[in-house]
Amino acid sequence: MKVLDPTAEAAAVATASAPPLADLAGARIGLLDNGKIRVDRFCDFAEEILRAEYGVADVVRRRKRNASAPAGGDVLADLLACDGVISAVGD
Amino acid sequence: MGTRRFEVADGFEANALFGRNGWTDGLPIVPPTPELVAAALETALLEPDQILGVEPVRGLAITAEKVAVNAVMAGCRPVDVAVVAAAVEAMCEPAYLLHGSAASTGGSAPLVIVNGPIRTALGLNTGANALGGGGPNAVIGRAVRLVLINLLGCRPGVLDQSTLGQPGKVSFCLAEDEDAGPWLPLAQERGVPDGASAVTVLACAPPRQVMNEWTTVPEEVCDTFAAEIRANMCGYSIWPGNYVLVIPPQLRSILVAAGWRKADVREHVWRRARVTRRQWREWGKGALADRGDPDQEFAALASPDDLLVVTAGGAAGGFAAVIPPWLGNRARAVTKGIGLCLDCNPKEERRP
Repeated sequence: MKVLDPTAEAAAVATASAPPLADLAGARIGLLDNGKIRVDRFCDFAEEILRAEYGVADVVRRRKRNASAPAGGDVLADLLACDGVISAVGD
Repeated sequence: MGTRRFEVADGFEANALFGRNGWTDGLPIVPPTPELVAAALETALLEPDQILGVEPVRGLAITAEKVAVNAVMAGCRPVDVAVVAAAVEAMCEPAYLLHGSAASTGGSAPLVIVNGPIRTALGLNTGANALGGGGPNAVIGRAVRLVLINLLGCRPGVLDQSTLGQPGKVSFCLAEDEDAGPWLPLAQERGVPDGASAVTVLACAPPRQVMNEWTTVPEEVCDTFAAEIRANMCGYSIWPGNYVLVIPPQLRSILVAAGWRKADVREHVWRRARVTRRQWREWGKGALADRGDPDQEFAALASPDDLLVVTAGGAAGGFAAVIPPWLGNRARAVTKGIGLCLDCNPKEERRP
């Protein structure tokens, strides 16, 4: 008896992680807030630590309008200009 | 068909293979042989490579053949596959929020509501135990779940991060009892022509059953529905969205006798399904009650039309069910015709 594969065989797309940043000093870091309660506070702490302890030069704060949907094009464009991005998921 | 094939000795070995690979929902499957899948596609008038939809977030294309494979596995007959295909199409509309609802901790399940002549042609259950399976409803709902598992990777703890989940995830297909009364079927209210069949899909929380056998006053009947919605707003989600109201014959007969149409039900519930911020305190959510004006009002329904009224259920019993939206947050109900195009222009399509 032959049976067919039920999965999306062609869906696997090869992706690779970006190389880690060599140094955070002087870097521009994006902080993406998924819009849920208290993520803004988490991001406040993260920004403070990034600036004070790691010498991050610039922090770009953006917030998703809907936690269950992808970030909009304008938000992504701003984050693409960063050296690294932290996606903060409050739940 | 270019789909990968496996050679197995029999149905037991097929089940072992699929179980081992995480391709099932834990229940036994019908082995999806090329012959069964081809018959399903032929009956549903679908080409194997036809793309039924593209999941909008990850851009995953869902083909008819893969949907048919999963429908066969779920136990669907070839005639059932058109309903599954329409449901998948509808769920790929951005308004449904397929990725977010399937991945959410909030425990949503895809509810499929079937309207039109196909209900009787397929023998779908619209009567007793309407929300509890029976008839081909069970396998149609299950097929949608298998599509999520196998084509979108919605395995528990992987993409599906539901904290608890709910029984509706196993199978959640409801068909409206359109023949019993004067009310317009849901699909027609949502723009589907009389005589056509359609599915309406919604990412939703589990049904909340209510009972009121102590009144013949339509306002009181609808107050029971609204009170349950208010409870959901405080206990589960405050956000407005599409609530589904399933009304069986006994309570429906009270409303119909009083001359109420579905629109009257919607209007009444829309006015009454509201809570103020201070009510959260009674639900142990004092921190939220203190975040703003205690008299701030929240409505479950942004407009009366956001309430989807469906008639179904057994003849006896003053019961009804409120099916809340998944966290009510911007995911919307989507209606699609089965085997027909509701919003396309044939003249446009004929252009070279």
